[in-house]
Amino acid sequence: MTGASKSKPPLLREDGKRLDGRSFDELRPLSIEARVLNDAAGSALVVWGKNKILAGVFGPRECIPRHDESPYRAVLRCRYNMAPFCSLEEHGRSGPSRRSQELSKVISEAFENVVIAESYPKSAIDVFIDVLQSDGGTRCAAVTAAAVALADAGIPMKDMVAAVAVGKVEGKLALDLSKEEDNWGESDNPIAFASRNGEVLLYQMDGQLTRDEIDQAMTMGKAAAQKVHAIQTDALRRVYTRAGEVALPLSLKPGEARSE
Amino acid sequence: MSKIVVPGEVVSDKPERMAYTFSDGQKTYATALSLLNEEGKLVPLEGPYEPIVEDVVVGYVTDIRFTGYNVELGEPFSGFLSSRDSRATFRLGSIVQARVINVDEVKSIDLADARGLEGGWLEHISPVKVPRLIGKRNSMINTIAQMTGCNLVVGRNGYVFVSFAGNHSLAIEAIRMVEAQAHTTGLTDRVAALLREKAGAKNMNAQAGMAGAQVNMAGMPTSQMARGQDDNSQM
Repeated sequence: MTGASKSKPPLLREDGKRLDGRSFDELRPLSIEARVLNDAAGSALVVWGKNKILAGVFGPRECIPRHDESPYRAVLRCRYNMAPFCSLEEHGRSGPSRRSQELSKVISEAFENVVIAESYPKSAIDVFIDVLQSDGGTRCAAVTAAAVALADAGIPMKDMVAAVAVGKVEGKLALDLSKEEDNWGESDNPIAFASRNGEVLLYQMDGQLTRDEIDQAMTMGKAAAQKVHAIQTDALRRVYTRAGEVALPLSLKPGEARSE
Repeated sequence: MSKIVVPGEVVSDKPERMAYTFSDGQKTYATALSLLNEEGKLVPLEGPYEPIVEDVVVGYVTDIRFTGYNVELGEPFSGFLSSRDSRATFRLGSIVQARVINVDEVKSIDLADARGLEGGWLEHISPVKVPRLIGKRNSMINTIAQMTGCNLVVGRNGYVFVSFAGNHSLAIEAIRMVEAQAHTTGLTDRVAALLREKAGAKNMNAQAGMAGAQVNMAGMPTSQMARGQDDNSQM
């Protein structure tokens, strides 16, 4: 917590809106670009508020180390990593940490539900997710980026995955928490939904919500995940309007990013 | 009008069995990023190679053992060519064309009828775009082979052998163009136009004129050979 103020800042403006001027059920600006890396089988850049996340998929390829491989299916390995320069303030540290290992694990497990790995026995599908710039909600943005990258690679999947966080700020449920709201709010619940049937593939809870609030949070999250899914689909389709060309528009600004 | 579908998107309102889809008993959904055409058929846009018996594949030797050769076929697959199924001998790195004779449950691939390919190199394209590169009744690959004078051998696994004889770099440019624009229509004509323009320009650049013509002439017999092989690749 070095560098950040120790006491809780106000999380709402005087007009009752959130710090960045959003209403409680509004997403931050989101834009996605697919096929941004030359050598990856599939890749995606997600710019979501102040988050910038790059995901690259390699494989199915030979599984190294060999003792990880399975004769029944491909192993899916997601690696979430924060770049040393990603942080706006103190959040995040490069290299393996307890936090990044946890996120790598939960993201891998979310995707194990949708990837049809049985087609590629004795191989590995690697998904590298790098946080280039972080604000609140990097794991949701990471899942969203990884789903686009996997689809772009043509890995067979039963479904796309879209994730969004729902939290509680100053006693009210709020969608897609920013860093301040995440740090100082009462609760943060990142949720990943399967886009076809709305199944929950990841649900983590920090802080507490009542049962009613969880029901409400799920409804809010599901509606928002559909919006995220529409942007994911659009990103994948746009690859083919630019003739499969590879472009990495790191200059995408959150202001230029489109929402809904 | 064909439409791009993403994994999990509905492709049919009743359960159907077709490639690159799955069904939950009520509807049919796509599993891969693909093009859904008017007839309701899915053509995948990306994806790894799915080995099938009788495929003609192209790869290179990565290991020589007493019993045979390991042949790299593009990740995640490598094939095994038993010495019993092949008369030819190869060296490490030799480029070979072979036929898949068996694929087992862990997708180990057995190869036979191997033939060495010399005097060229391997290009790799996305395996799902191989049918596009071959074209209807070999139209695309014949166009490229004829116009560049190159010997081309296309493997189902996405490796393409391109001979140094002929206009090598132009052939590669055309192959890359097919890969990038595989989802568009009228591609054969556009590739032909590109080849005409570039090949024509080259002949004009060579002031002597005759020199360029001779290269093409020398290239002709090889392109004839190439067509014979392409018939194989189509099987």
